[in-house]
Amino acid sequence: MENSTSKASRSQNDPVSVSSSPSVLEAFWLHLICGLGLAVAFWVANNVYAVNLISNPAQTLRLILVIESPIVIFLYSLFRQNPKQCSYLKAVGRGVLGLPAGAVLNAFGAIVLGTPVGIQYLTKTISWSLLMSLFTFVPAACVFGSSWTNWQRLFAHTKPNGILDYMICFPAHGAFLGAWLGAWPMPLDWERPWQEWPICVSYGAVAGYLVAMVASLGFIILCGGGRQHVKGD
Amino acid sequence: MKEKKIRVSTSARISSLTCTRLATWTTAAVLLQILGLSLFVLGFFPVKPALSGVSGPESYRSPGCHSLEDLHSRNLPPDQLRSLYQEISEIPPSFDRLILMVIDGLPAEFVLGKGDRLPSKAMMKAMPYTQSLLANGMAHGCHARAAPPTVTMPRLKAMVSGAIGGFLDVAFNFNTQALLDDNLLGQFYNIGWKMVMLGDETWLKLFPGLFTRHDGVSSFYVKDTVEVDRNVTRHLEAELIIDDWNLLILHYLGLDHVGHIGGRNSILMAPKLKEMDEIIKTIHLSKILSQDNNHGQTLLMVVSDHGMTDSGNHGGSSYEETDSLALFIGLRSNFPDYASAIRDAAFQVDIAPTLALLFGVPIPKNNIGVLIAGTFDSLTDDQQLRALELNSWQLLRLLRTHLPGLSCGSLPCNRFSDEQGSGNSRCNGSVEQKFCCLYLKAAALHSSWKSNKGRSSRSSSRDEFRDAVAAYYEFLRIASEWLSGRTTDKPLGLLTFGVAAMLVSCVILLNLLFHLCKEVYLRQKQCLPNLNSCSYKWNLDETFILGVIFILVLSMGSSSMVEEEQYIWHFMTSTLYLIFLRKAIQSLPAGPALSLFIVIKGQNCKKFSQMHSIFVVLICGRILRGWHQGGVNWTYLPDISKWLEQASTNCIKLIQLVSGLLVIILSSYALSSLRSMRNFVLGVQVSFFISGLLVMVHIMEYQVHTSVQSSYNATLMAQIIYAILTMIVIATLVASPWFMPIWISKTHSSSQPYLMTSVSIDSQIKSLPLGLIDSAYLIGWTYIVCWCLLQLLLQQPINAVPILLLLLQILASMLSFSIDGPRHKQWIEVSALYFLGMAGHFGLGNSNTIATIDVAASFIGISSHSTVLAGILMFINTYASPMLFLLSMVMYISMKDMSYMLVSQNTDLGHLLQMMIGFPCLIPLGLNSIVLTAFTVILLLMRNHLFVWSVFSPKYLYVCATTASVYIGVSIVAATGIYQCSVFVFRKSSSSKGNGTSKSLR
Repeated sequence: MENSTSKASRSQNDPVSVSSSPSVLEAFWLHLICGLGLAVAFWVANNVYAVNLISNPAQTLRLILVIESPIVIFLYSLFRQNPKQCSYLKAVGRGVLGLPAGAVLNAFGAIVLGTPVGIQYLTKTISWSLLMSLFTFVPAACVFGSSWTNWQRLFAHTKPNGILDYMICFPAHGAFLGAWLGAWPMPLDWERPWQEWPICVSYGAVAGYLVAMVASLGFIILCGGGRQHVKGD
Repeated sequence: MKEKKIRVSTSARISSLTCTRLATWTTAAVLLQILGLSLFVLGFFPVKPALSGVSGPESYRSPGCHSLEDLHSRNLPPDQLRSLYQEISEIPPSFDRLILMVIDGLPAEFVLGKGDRLPSKAMMKAMPYTQSLLANGMAHGCHARAAPPTVTMPRLKAMVSGAIGGFLDVAFNFNTQALLDDNLLGQFYNIGWKMVMLGDETWLKLFPGLFTRHDGVSSFYVKDTVEVDRNVTRHLEAELIIDDWNLLILHYLGLDHVGHIGGRNSILMAPKLKEMDEIIKTIHLSKILSQDNNHGQTLLMVVSDHGMTDSGNHGGSSYEETDSLALFIGLRSNFPDYASAIRDAAFQVDIAPTLALLFGVPIPKNNIGVLIAGTFDSLTDDQQLRALELNSWQLLRLLRTHLPGLSCGSLPCNRFSDEQGSGNSRCNGSVEQKFCCLYLKAAALHSSWKSNKGRSSRSSSRDEFRDAVAAYYEFLRIASEWLSGRTTDKPLGLLTFGVAAMLVSCVILLNLLFHLCKEVYLRQKQCLPNLNSCSYKWNLDETFILGVIFILVLSMGSSSMVEEEQYIWHFMTSTLYLIFLRKAIQSLPAGPALSLFIVIKGQNCKKFSQMHSIFVVLICGRILRGWHQGGVNWTYLPDISKWLEQASTNCIKLIQLVSGLLVIILSSYALSSLRSMRNFVLGVQVSFFISGLLVMVHIMEYQVHTSVQSSYNATLMAQIIYAILTMIVIATLVASPWFMPIWISKTHSSSQPYLMTSVSIDSQIKSLPLGLIDSAYLIGWTYIVCWCLLQLLLQQPINAVPILLLLLQILASMLSFSIDGPRHKQWIEVSALYFLGMAGHFGLGNSNTIATIDVAASFIGISSHSTVLAGILMFINTYASPMLFLLSMVMYISMKDMSYMLVSQNTDLGHLLQMMIGFPCLIPLGLNSIVLTAFTVILLLMRNHLFVWSVFSPKYLYVCATTASVYIGVSIVAATGIYQCSVFVFRKSSSSKGNGTSKSLR
């Protein structure tokens, strides 16, 4: 029942989203800049501040967040839905608001899945969930705002439709999946420093994010290009 | 009737699976599984017959004698016992002081070389002093083959008791690792020795309280190769000067650690060997070992418990791992050259009888070792033969426990009665005959030598002596090998058959499950055409459950994952519920204009209550995870239970009482939604209340300081509670199907406020399952509440809150599943409940080691000691959570709207049953059979793994116990279902016969 209604809604919705749909090249640049931003953040952390995830996870995560969040928010806000009714600044504001809101959701998920709760983990958990929120919910918040239908389509049904959806949906799910898989080595008794929360989970999330961006590009080039063509007709 | 036929024939191809066939096949599969499991367990964990008790003076008499005087010699003071042994053994003890130096993990190859070859140059150089001792004939070394598992504790046991233990004797010593069998140290203690132990604390675990002084070091810090040995050596000098001891044990772990870090050829190896050589030199040159010590003789014995592979691991049965060392320094006999100082053929168990006779104590009862040749050369011929004879008698006694038919005619009681020797003829025939023949031959040669000793010439006497020694050794070797084969050999046929049977039963169960799934979904599709066909394709949650099973099976192959299994269950269950949450969000309404805030504000009460209940499950699960840290490696980390225990006992008691109260309130609340048969339900509620109150009184009055006082009143009270709970369960079970009205119109059936009633079938046809559903709800809830109350009584006080959380999880899951209606596939929900049960099992503080079993719980309410009752209580206590969730399946049946499956004409008993209890029974059986079969195969593959005894075997016992709990739970669910259904069908048929007016059913 609900499926049919959502389908109907999507068909109504499509023309609106097409209006701000990016081209393949734009998607490529966005992903490239996001990926490079991460790389720069890691480089800065390592070489300028001489910290890394293992020695100082909270600080490193914050550093990555500070460098990466403007990139993500500003870039994704360019592709906001209904650009006529929604100014660029408003989209940026949505992204900034979405950051802590998404962090709360991410932190809830992580804690439910077994993240240690305690004062000494507080800053780590906060930094990690903010970063996760940046990877997952912030792009969607910038682009769609509080449009429930789009959120539901992307995150509950995982049915991306069009280049913009791929660009948001893939990296987010990649980060989720990467973080989930990254938690697996934690209970093993290898006695490695990186088995601590949230180091391997962050590595997993970043790796998943990057891999999913590549996959998203691949999908955009394979399917999105064709779709764009059809829509152009 | 014709219509029915037609209706059935349309789905004839689908429903080839009738209820009887389903039941028959399931029973057959379960029986096959039980058979396979028991065969495998028998084969893998052989229970060897062992002699109990401790060897005493009777061991110096022939096994044929039945003397009664042994009894009073038990209580002799140590000095008298020692002189008694000396007198009747006829062998004067060669030494009265022993330094046992254990070098953990030293392969004999390093000291003695392999075969005829000398050890490598580097090794020779690393141990110059030891090599010079060997070269001068002052030391006597041999390769002492160790039996697998080549891990420290079992090897030390083998060394001091001469026996190769099975796993089950370890497993059934709950919470104690102490060696209770007859052993050398116990014997030494009995004759009044003072013992000192320096080194690996395993000795302290094995022999608590036996040592006068001790300094244990932990083998936990494998990275440390220096301090661990320095901690032993720092006392050595002082001990050598004090010399008030008779036995000094030095257990050096450093060499094993070197091996674990860098393998055999580690650069640390040579310095470590040098260090060991220095210690041997220190001891050998000290005053104690010099010959003119007026305290008597001291023997230095250097042994290793096991060897190591090239990479430094051990545990298996390769030559490198089993090649351990036995080096005697200070034997009076001199060996002319290097080659004769080294003997090849010896076993680690041989150390026990050799030391026993060298020090004048009886050989431990279950010893299967043989005297090491060459160690007794300094004795007279007479004494040497006597020593061999004592060893033979001991083995003969042990053989008799394995072969009750082994009587050897009548063994002569006095030693040299007649010479009925069988000459030089070969010994053949059955095992018994062979052993008899070999022994009698040796005994005959012995006695003939004895009688001819004075008469015949020197050379012929020498020949006769050699013959007798050879004959004794032949008997001893064959007997010893046969005995050790009995304990270490794994009967391959038995194991293969067991595994095959389990595999077949697993395949049958999965096949049944598959057919049932197919049938149910086709039927569902048939009856509910308005349901979107989209929801019948393969979903994420189904894929995930298959993934869970796969990951579980994989994780069981890794020892650390087995140790930390609680993380896996919690992680998987939480992820599954997050997926359910996602699914709930999916089904929220979606429209073009809907913004996030409108959706939240909107009238989606049902959906939101479903999401709330999933949140409750998730949060409860997280608290359960945090309640006990669990596992093996991180038990020291803080958790809620430790925090509460530190706080105060009053606080725990308060929390316990509050959670007890909440359980009672919840139990009444859940029943209050039942509107039919108010009086009956009220009665059940009152009885819950009374028993809950009794449990609370028991908690308040008798559980003091986290332990249960075993006063008479407490026991009586617990017994009363048991009786009341049993009565409630039986009364509700028997009565409720009879009292529930058959015909309930829709308006009254509000047992589930969210029951999906989108399907419009004739209300009279629906009425049968609805009456049934109310009674299943009542019975299921009674099961759950009574089990929870029982657990509140049995569990440790700290576990009261987890019980409440488990109850909440059940309620919340039921609510969310009932809202879902037929959208979720039934097997997913049953699996989710099963997973919750397993996650809760670890949440209650259980782990895969035997140490976490709460033994104290098994004595609550038992007035006299009874192994069976205590075992049952222990099982109830340990398997609280899995059983709780299995019992909740009865309630689950009632929460699920299955009316759409009951096509009007098909409401016969068999079909009803199949729909009701098919999944709740088959899913736990199927899941468990996968786990059981997979772990059996893994155990078989891991049989030479380092941790097979410490990790995998205890886990296997847990898997077996889980299997038992699944059998019990499933049979309760099935029996309840069958009873209810048959009562309802009977009542329905009799009532429809009674008034023909209601016979509108066609």
